[in-house]
Amino acid sequence: MRRGRAGAWLVLVVVFVYYLVPMIAMTRFAFQRIPVIKLSFGNLFDKWTIAPLIETFKEPEFRSSASLSVQLAIATAALTLILLVPTMAVAHLRSKRMRRMIELSSTLPFVVPAIALVVGFAGAFRETLPMFIRSPFGLVPLYVITALPFTHRALENGLAALDLRTLVDASQSLGATWYRTVVFVIVPNIRASIATAAFLALTVVLGEFTIASLLLKNTLPLYLSYSQGQNPQGSFAVGLVLILISTIFVASSNRLGKVVRS
Amino acid sequence: MNSRVAGSLNKRARHLAFAPYAIFLLVFLVWPGLYVFRSAFDQGSAPKNPMIEAVTGQYRSSFIFSLRLSFVSAILGLVIGATVAVALMRLSHVRGLRNVVVGYSAVAANMGGIPLAFAFLAAFGMQGLATRLLKGINIDLIGWGFRISDFWGIVLVYLYFQIPLMTLVIVPALDGLRRTWSEAAQSLGASTRQYWRFVALPILTPALLGGFLLLVANAFAAYATAFALSAGSSKLVTVQIRFFLQGETITGKTNLGYALAAWMVIITAFLVLGFQVLSRRAERWRR
Repeated sequence: MRRGRAGAWLVLVVVFVYYLVPMIAMTRFAFQRIPVIKLSFGNLFDKWTIAPLIETFKEPEFRSSASLSVQLAIATAALTLILLVPTMAVAHLRSKRMRRMIELSSTLPFVVPAIALVVGFAGAFRETLPMFIRSPFGLVPLYVITALPFTHRALENGLAALDLRTLVDASQSLGATWYRTVVFVIVPNIRASIATAAFLALTVVLGEFTIASLLLKNTLPLYLSYSQGQNPQGSFAVGLVLILISTIFVASSNRLGKVVRS
Repeated sequence: MNSRVAGSLNKRARHLAFAPYAIFLLVFLVWPGLYVFRSAFDQGSAPKNPMIEAVTGQYRSSFIFSLRLSFVSAILGLVIGATVAVALMRLSHVRGLRNVVVGYSAVAANMGGIPLAFAFLAAFGMQGLATRLLKGINIDLIGWGFRISDFWGIVLVYLYFQIPLMTLVIVPALDGLRRTWSEAAQSLGASTRQYWRFVALPILTPALLGGFLLLVANAFAAYATAFALSAGSSKLVTVQIRFFLQGETITGKTNLGYALAAWMVIITAFLVLGFQVLSRRAERWRR
């Protein structure tokens, strides 16, 4: 048993090193102004600076792509919730079959990889509704689809933990309309899973590259990819910030998910 | 009579509530999906049906490259991810360890895209920190022909999200193994090895296999990381499709991109279906 435990620790340590090394290397590259070749134990702590990040934050290209990404993320989270919360609430109340159907449809985006989705979208919409391809906000519905498996799961957990029937009966017997029931009864009761779903949608949008890249929309990940050549330190620094943000988002959605389940 | 009318009205209203969601999916998921298949089978003036051309010659080798990469990264992800999960089980007495590892797995499983590629370029690129450190102890990766944008390089990067994804799939399955089973095996004289081989492994098989298919699909659909690692010149099917959407230069072959995408959908559909069937089986033992 003792030996088993030592082996288990060894496994975790090795994997931990594998996870740590790229992050350390990226941090060092972004924030230390010494090329790897000249790095030695003597200058390990010299020339560290956050200037690359600050300088990049001042760039107008960075600002426009960051602001586009943030707007897209918020729009995606909002559209996801508007579309899913009422529909899923009705499904939970009325029809088990509908609930199944929605669940099944929420896994469809796994079947259609982002690259296939965007190719089909571009082809289908170019002839009929070109504004969806021209406007950067045409990305929003595609992002809602991409995030759907995750956002659906989060909301499903919240609704399943609720005695929805009783809540809705109580609300309607007091004379509330369906709209008031959704906004003032259902939403407050599943706010933790709404926040979870929103966090997951934000994470998906902030990191998404495939769709934006094929439709040539200048989101943050596209900026990173383009500026890698001229401003490697700055783009690596921004990449690190993105990793940090998505870590915080996923971690907090996990924590909220635990609140929902308990 | 009256109640029947009310009932059917109610039913209609019920269906109406699903309309926005259904229409949304139809317009933004089903329609693009169908468009891919319609164009993929549309030969036009090309000498060959695009669906056939997409799996011959250089495109066939693209598919083989993508699938090989997906399988290799999935097998390694399966083995390492499951090992991590078993290690966690062994160390269940350490407080908080499981929460930290599972929590970080959720984070890392969602990682990918451009930032992940950057991290690995900084570590294992030509001028990477790890490359340099390893060379210091006489492990000359570059001298041995290792490139982060090549097959094994991409595998190394993909493992970053494949391992934790597998851990997330396997940890609940290991939780489902009941103490009484190992006690029963022990009281019948089975060794630990025999217990794992004849009791635990058969029960875990659907979960392991399902997880494996999920990992294959996951790697197969990936695009951004490989694109950034190779500066857009990767052999991956996903990266190949890009040329057709943007260039459309090869006359008479415009539908080839759709055909590549259609084959991708077909392959992923089988993988995801297999995953769902197997994970339903795996859940039988829980509760």
